[in-house]
Amino acid sequence: MNRKKGDKGFESPRPYKLTHQVVCINNINFQRKSVVGYVELTIFPTVANLNRIKLNSKQCRIYRVRVNDLEAAFIYNDPTLEVCHHESKQRNLNYFSNAYAAAVSAVDPDAGNGELCIKVPSELWKHVDELKVLKVHINFSLDQPKGGLHFVVPNMEGNMAERGAHVFSCGYQNSTRFWFPCVDSYSELCTWKLEYTVDAAMVAVSNGDLVETVYTHDMRKKTFHYMLTIPTAASNISLAIGPFEILVDPYMHEVTHFCLPQLLPLLKHTTSYLHEVFEFYEEILTCRYPYSCFKTVFIDEAYVEVAAYASMSIFSTNLLHSAMIIDETPLTRRCLAQALAQQFFGCFISRMSWSDEWVLKGISGYIYGLWMKKTFGVNEYRHWIKQELDQIVAYELKTGGVLLHPIFGGGKEKDNPASHLHFSIKHPHTLSWEYYTMFQCKAHLVMRLIENRISMEFMLQVFNKLLSLASTASSQKFQSHMWSQMLVSTSGFLKSISNVSGKDIQPLIKQWVDQSGVVKFYGSFAFNRKRNVLELEIKQDYTSPGTQKYVGPLKVTVQELDGSFNHTLQIEENSLKHDIPCHSKSRRNKKKKIPLMNGEEVDMDLSAMDADSPLLWIRIDPDMSVLRKVEFEQSDFMWQYQLRYERDVVAQEEAILALEKFPTPASRLALTDILEQEQCFYRVRMLACFCLAKIANSMVSTWTGPPAMKSLFTRMFCCKTCPNIVKTNNFMNFQSYFLQKTMPVAMALLRDVHNLCPKEVLMFILDLIKYNDNRKNKFSDNYYRAELIDALANSVTPAVSVNNEVRTLDNLNPDVRLILEEITRFLNMEKLLPSYRHTITVSCLKAIRVLQKNGHVPSDPALFKSYAEYGHFVDVRIAALEAVVDYTKVDRSYEELQWLLTMVQNDPVPYIRHKILDMLTKNPPFTKNMESPLCNEALVDQLWKLMNSGTSHDWRLRCGAVDLYFTLFGLSRPSCLPLPELGLVLNLKEKKAVLNPTIIPESVANNQEPVNSTNNHGQSVGFQNTFSNSQEEEEIDMDTVHDSQAFIYHHLNMLERPSTPGKEQSSGEINMHPVSAAPLSVFSKESNSSKHSDHHHHHHHEHKKKKKKHKHKHKHKHKHDTKEKEKDPFVFSNSPASARSIRSPSLSD
Amino acid sequence: MLHSRDISEIGRSAKSYCEHTARTQPTLSDIVVTLVEMGFNVETLPAYAKRSQRMVITAPPVTNQPVTPKALTAGQNKPHPPHIPGHFPEFPDPHTYIKTPTYREPVSDYQVLREKAASQRRDVERALTRFMAKTGETQSLFKDDVSTFPLIAARPFTVPYLTALLPSELEMQQMEETDSSEQDEQTDTENLPLHMSTDDAGPEKENTSVLQQNSSLAGSRNGEENVIDNPYLRPVKKPKIRRKK
Repeated sequence: MNRKKGDKGFESPRPYKLTHQVVCINNINFQRKSVVGYVELTIFPTVANLNRIKLNSKQCRIYRVRVNDLEAAFIYNDPTLEVCHHESKQRNLNYFSNAYAAAVSAVDPDAGNGELCIKVPSELWKHVDELKVLKVHINFSLDQPKGGLHFVVPNMEGNMAERGAHVFSCGYQNSTRFWFPCVDSYSELCTWKLEYTVDAAMVAVSNGDLVETVYTHDMRKKTFHYMLTIPTAASNISLAIGPFEILVDPYMHEVTHFCLPQLLPLLKHTTSYLHEVFEFYEEILTCRYPYSCFKTVFIDEAYVEVAAYASMSIFSTNLLHSAMIIDETPLTRRCLAQALAQQFFGCFISRMSWSDEWVLKGISGYIYGLWMKKTFGVNEYRHWIKQELDQIVAYELKTGGVLLHPIFGGGKEKDNPASHLHFSIKHPHTLSWEYYTMFQCKAHLVMRLIENRISMEFMLQVFNKLLSLASTASSQKFQSHMWSQMLVSTSGFLKSISNVSGKDIQPLIKQWVDQSGVVKFYGSFAFNRKRNVLELEIKQDYTSPGTQKYVGPLKVTVQELDGSFNHTLQIEENSLKHDIPCHSKSRRNKKKKIPLMNGEEVDMDLSAMDADSPLLWIRIDPDMSVLRKVEFEQSDFMWQYQLRYERDVVAQEEAILALEKFPTPASRLALTDILEQEQCFYRVRMLACFCLAKIANSMVSTWTGPPAMKSLFTRMFCCKTCPNIVKTNNFMNFQSYFLQKTMPVAMALLRDVHNLCPKEVLMFILDLIKYNDNRKNKFSDNYYRAELIDALANSVTPAVSVNNEVRTLDNLNPDVRLILEEITRFLNMEKLLPSYRHTITVSCLKAIRVLQKNGHVPSDPALFKSYAEYGHFVDVRIAALEAVVDYTKVDRSYEELQWLLTMVQNDPVPYIRHKILDMLTKNPPFTKNMESPLCNEALVDQLWKLMNSGTSHDWRLRCGAVDLYFTLFGLSRPSCLPLPELGLVLNLKEKKAVLNPTIIPESVANNQEPVNSTNNHGQSVGFQNTFSNSQEEEEIDMDTVHDSQAFIYHHLNMLERPSTPGKEQSSGEINMHPVSAAPLSVFSKESNSSKHSDHHHHHHHEHKKKKKKHKHKHKHKHKHDTKEKEKDPFVFSNSPASARSIRSPSLSD
Repeated sequence: MLHSRDISEIGRSAKSYCEHTARTQPTLSDIVVTLVEMGFNVETLPAYAKRSQRMVITAPPVTNQPVTPKALTAGQNKPHPPHIPGHFPEFPDPHTYIKTPTYREPVSDYQVLREKAASQRRDVERALTRFMAKTGETQSLFKDDVSTFPLIAARPFTVPYLTALLPSELEMQQMEETDSSEQDEQTDTENLPLHMSTDDAGPEKENTSVLQQNSSLAGSRNGEENVIDNPYLRPVKKPKIRRKK
């Protein structure tokens, strides 16, 4: 455990404690998308010689900083703006990832760092020594923020309120620094006063209690005053402003819902269920909802569907639905329940450090699971657990593992626990989005494993204990050690568990939390008739990436003729075989009913069984109490019995998947029986449809009777008198509804001996479309119709192409003509009578792409590009973009790739930008081992620029760009680039011929020890020394002077705005606002020195350039250069790029 | 001899007497009283009736009704209803007064009906969309042909979520219609075989319960509205300085 000294206290990485913060935004301009305001932080120094205060702030423009009403100088340095400063030709991802992780560390609030460094005015030093309170007042503004705050301003007539313009805070993990200066950490709690002055027609929704709303003097605006008395981390502060419609929850008056104009009826329906979720959580946690109020806001262009903040949640407006919509209802309710679970764990209870994140995500995910179980039933819950388990297993096997609780020993590169990944897991901001989703998934699964171990009762007691400790602490006045009770840590959580349950779960934690990887079991068995023993062999694969070895108990359930028996096997190092005694003699009494696990007794037709064996089926780890993948071999009849008679839905699903490999009439019968069984879980039946289609295709030559499922569908959903006509829709029975939707989609996958979709099936689906009649239905049929189009798309098979002829109307296949006719009509009707969430348009676009891809229709991205434009509904845009991405891959179109990448940079909707990168990563135009005309130097440069500096405003987007770069080019230098000349020189010199020369970092990297103790150093120095020291410190923030140039260049850009109140320094070297006289002298001195070293560096640079030309001649010279640098104390530092490159893995071995 | 005037007087008086005694049909005694009143000796009447040279009036000879030719009769003549005395003329032939609305035999075959409804709707939709496509901008899947599968061009919305989320007018109308018939549909669901196992019936059950709640909710809301104390419903305060003045 990497707990910081003892469990009791949380040791702040900062030399001060924040107790209260005021955020006041007094002007919001929707037209210009700008925000003006100030913050005031009340802090108590905890060390005597506190001379500088580091805060987080990104993209804010800071006008003025005052500490206790005295003007204070400050420096703004954000190394994440541009990760690798030199216009380096490295282009290797390893290098970038290290540099990026270092850059994030350099401003990480959990390490006491920040982008904004404020000097405490010297007049206050005495004051500070007495550890007296400081008030830091910062005036700032934001102009067209690219991240953190998102403005939605529809382009139409009317004032902002009429247009439905709104703005809200958003972002991934701690992103509050994007919209106001703060300590952007989940572990720095304080109380809040929030003030927003907005247009009188608007509402500002924020955290805590709305104390009052007051008009401004001109009565045109009003100010919303919020107080949040529960200590809260800045990262949990949020804001939404817009002309919202207000709905007070009729069941709980302290809960208020907000939505955009005209959507009130939908809001009423959507939120009418929320109180039940409240009741559920409060009941199981035996704890009242911690905040005095709760607000839900539904906004457009959401960053994520659900974002939870202290006492409020921001949802995507697309979750709203009317009573007519079936499919969206459970999804939306899930989102509401998730948001509410995070209110308790995530907002109210925060985390100590990033490595404790898994506890919060785990607990909130776990109680959300309990809610699922209660609301949707055990079947749905187990299905969900299975789904999540399959996902995490697949992801870990693909990428090499997800580590819940990373331990970083002293920050050494060698200890990197996730070296298999192309990004650092040390910070949330360097994490791939997919990894983070999987991380959350694993966290709640592990919580479930803990529950299995200690029982649910104890589990809930632990949660209750955490909550009650926190709520006691929250009501206290500021006492730092009390407030830290509101922070959860891994060790604290584990201690709580052992206190409450008295059980030792250390092995479990070690296995699943402290190390990554899942278990892969291979099982097979033989029945020994003589000994009446089942010989079970369980092998493990623990050498492949993403796997680990499992040692411990494993439950095996054997269904025999005489009943179902559980056995617990001990999986040990070397034992593969396990003998399990059987209880039943084979075939003693044929007539007897067979008892199942749940006590039910059923008649079975045992004729399919092996006459010698009493075994019906065997299941390994039926309760999913190991994070594993099981590949188990048993004969087809056993799978069939399992499907028919095992009552666990997970077992049924497993059996269905296994039966795909056994295309026999018996399998067909078992599947059809399941399909018809109305007691059977609907998802199992849906799955059976697809399996049946696969089996039918494998059996195509021997298949008898009508196409699979056709007669079944006819019996269930068509008129008795005219079996070719479907009944008018009635979706009152949801199970039937889902089956009715799915069956045609599965049927369309059927193929005849020529590998074409049977004409009969196509006609059947066309008839379903033709006779579809929803007039008498209480529910909308948009999802049903959309799936019928999906079915049409599924029926499409590749066109028989003669000499690669151009696709024209004349040679159009007649079946395809029918399909196109339907698609055209549907797509056009959508323009006149749009369906909910435009599901039909989405399906049509997908179908058109399928037709293009199969060569029936000329491949052309123009249609998709028009639907992908801003202004279409987000689902439609995603579907269209997916088609463009696919086109880019299939047709290797450079033009489309450029179009997509431009959109990544310029689209107004952050979610779309993220999604494009995500889709490109999942369906890449080429991969690292592939020759492609698209893979060229320009693309490398473009993507490099995108992740290096183009995406600094959105963590998620930057990590998405990194993912894409990795998929396209891999970790090392992209193969399409010429070898770097400089790297070769270095190699020869250092005699490291074995290394791949392409991954050597720049020559700046030398064997220097980085000065990584700068912060401590700076703080330990008394303020008498400050003058002499300050030079060094300033330099340290800036890497080499060359780097600082790049950095300054950035800041100049940032500052090139008309209304700067504090005048810039004439030299323009450092972004500093010398407002008081005393620090000015210090700084001017500094700027001189940096100027000096700047010259110096220029010199360097020229040398390098020369070197490139005559490399061997200057070998010696180069060495000299390096030495010179070593001497120079200003030149290097712990700046991300250089420091990391020293320890780059390529050099360390 | 009796005058006709006397006869009518007898009838009139007799009716008056009978009405005087609250009857509608005169009886013998009424007539006797009348005759007495008129100064007629009633006792002479029986003798007069039995006189030998009394005149007997024979019944009028029955003339055969002209038989209407068969060819002209259409249908059975309607018999007299009880309030029309039997001697009145018969009703005319039915064809003179019976109306026979003429329309084609109603199609009651379900299959044909569905077929018709489906193709009618399809035709309308196709015609409408083609019209829209002809009058506006289009996109095409084939470069060489723009008319066979004309797609109405995609046009971005200023507020895309509104059209995507709000039910269309048609759906709203349907909702109202089904709402009015909700009563029987509700009972329908109850009649549905409740074969779903308790495990997986979750979302479904809620859905219906929420629907019910919603309708009850709308009613109860109005009453509560006044009681709710929610900071967002409170009136906006005037600026403080103004209050000081």
